[in-house]
Amino acid sequence: MCCSNLDEERGSQKGNLIPVDLESIKGMKFFDPHVHMTSRTTDDYQAMFDAGVVALIEPAFWLGQPRTGIDSFRDYYSSLIGWERFRSSQFGIKHYCTIGLNSREANNEKLAEQVMEVLPLFIMKEGVVGIGEIGFDDQTPAEEKYYRLQLELAKETELPVQIHTPHRDKKRGTRRSMDIALEHGISPDTVIIDHNNEETVKEVLDRGFWAAFTIYPFTKMGNERMVEIVKQYGTERIMINSAADWGISDPLAVPKTAALMKARGISAENIEQVTYRNAITAFGKSGQINEEDFVAAQNIDQSEKFEGNTVLRGGQQPRIDKSSIIIS
Amino acid sequence: MEPAERKEFDSVIAAIIKRSVASEVFNWLEEKAILIREENGARHLNLAFAAITRKTGRQLIKIAEEEREITKKVHSGFSVDDWTTDRLSRLWLLMQTDASDKNNYCAKIENLFNGAEMHELAALYSSLFFFKYPEEWQQRCAEGIRSNIGIVLEAIMYNNPYPSKYLSDLAWNQLVLKAFFAEKNVNRIIGLDRRANKELALILVDYANERRAAHRLVNPQLWRLVTKFIDESNFKNIEEAFKSSDVKEKKAAALACFQSNYLPAKNLVESEPVLKSEIVENKLNWNLL
Repeated sequence: MCCSNLDEERGSQKGNLIPVDLESIKGMKFFDPHVHMTSRTTDDYQAMFDAGVVALIEPAFWLGQPRTGIDSFRDYYSSLIGWERFRSSQFGIKHYCTIGLNSREANNEKLAEQVMEVLPLFIMKEGVVGIGEIGFDDQTPAEEKYYRLQLELAKETELPVQIHTPHRDKKRGTRRSMDIALEHGISPDTVIIDHNNEETVKEVLDRGFWAAFTIYPFTKMGNERMVEIVKQYGTERIMINSAADWGISDPLAVPKTAALMKARGISAENIEQVTYRNAITAFGKSGQINEEDFVAAQNIDQSEKFEGNTVLRGGQQPRIDKSSIIIS
Repeated sequence: MEPAERKEFDSVIAAIIKRSVASEVFNWLEEKAILIREENGARHLNLAFAAITRKTGRQLIKIAEEEREITKKVHSGFSVDDWTTDRLSRLWLLMQTDASDKNNYCAKIENLFNGAEMHELAALYSSLFFFKYPEEWQQRCAEGIRSNIGIVLEAIMYNNPYPSKYLSDLAWNQLVLKAFFAEKNVNRIIGLDRRANKELALILVDYANERRAAHRLVNPQLWRLVTKFIDESNFKNIEEAFKSSDVKEKKAAALACFQSNYLPAKNLVESEPVLKSEIVENKLNWNLL
């Protein structure tokens, strides 16, 4: 990384340190509708639970380098509905996912064709709340082809669509994503346009889509900016997420943003809309989300047992104390 | 299972499901059952199997006493009492799959395992005993034991007649060891006593030593599987357990020694008349421990 103005920006970040104090939001529940848990550790799950995250959605994406065979896709989808879902339950967090062929890997057409064959098997599985994250990355013809095909699949199966908007040429890419969705006759209130910023939000909201914002250091939205967006546009159809992945990102972005919003005078009801309620309403159109299933939201006594088995049937993990050098 | 038994079991399961779900849901299941019985491919099976929870939800089934008695005919340790509507419905649908072409049938079931979500997996493993061509599923069962998904392990281990009947000693031993490692309730493993073997006993004694050296508690049920194999090579270990300050471990060691044919073990129990009489009067046994 060589650009000097970026270094300057990063340097200035250090001047804005406000210590993390999640006491102000204790008791609030959070829903993170976009987080890549396969690339996160159990420390993150534990921290998310402690901060009040009760449920999340993990979108299907690439793994940092392109897959070369259909089995990799199949095994990955399988892990989203299998092992990762179980792993999450052990920390008291309900795990949902969206499944789809992401924009990057749509460019490998031979493989993309095979993925399209396999998708129908997975998208109707329990806990799959949408087709995602799909859309444009470089905005190539191949990306467009598979975006359109998956929109048709969404229509057929009546599942919400989670759209990844490009990071380069974002404004036009976002507009194009919306144009094409409407062209296919998809109702915008079943489509979540993700990774929005100040330049895209108005049009997304005006055209009736859900607007998701990713609170992610350096490259995406910041939470102080998010506070301003909510103050300007209100909370209707707005939701935030962390999109925490293997890069420098923060799985506590949602609770931290809630805390910041509270400190900056946004009401508790409005905070709840953008950090919990709206995501559930949008993705809940899949029929797969039931708040009663959010284990952590129920105040279950960890020591309570039923016929000798712990009530928390997921088999919750015992806690470790990370502040001690003792490991045992 | 004999055809007549299978038919009876099938009707009982259907009756339980019918009572436990809405009538339109049961109608949907019956429609899918017809399609699944008739198809050569797996399209209807795959779609219906995945869609089940959307239809049936996940609640405990409602079972009548007569029905419970019929399920016990499968095996005295078998039970569907704590099964949920989705799991039982999945079992029933699986039983509708045409099995006349062995390769085709096995491929369909294998395919379900490969794409299975966590609850589907648990349903599949719970159903192992009811698949045709039972020997074909040994590898798959052994693979399931490697899983760390809690409900999957429990589906294989708890009240499931398949493993003790069909697994090789090697795979069976792994199941028992995994049960101890994962702190599962070993009392619910069908065939636990019947399939005790020397190799397993040796491994378990080593495991007990490992736990003791790490100052960790030993599951007292472990000694249940050592009792027939106590001899001079491992007697010292059971003596240690007998002298344990952990009351449960001491009782377990006493039980194991009492049931053993090895004279020094029997003599050890004599040294604790109170414990011995508890065992003789059946106030202390493996289930009460």
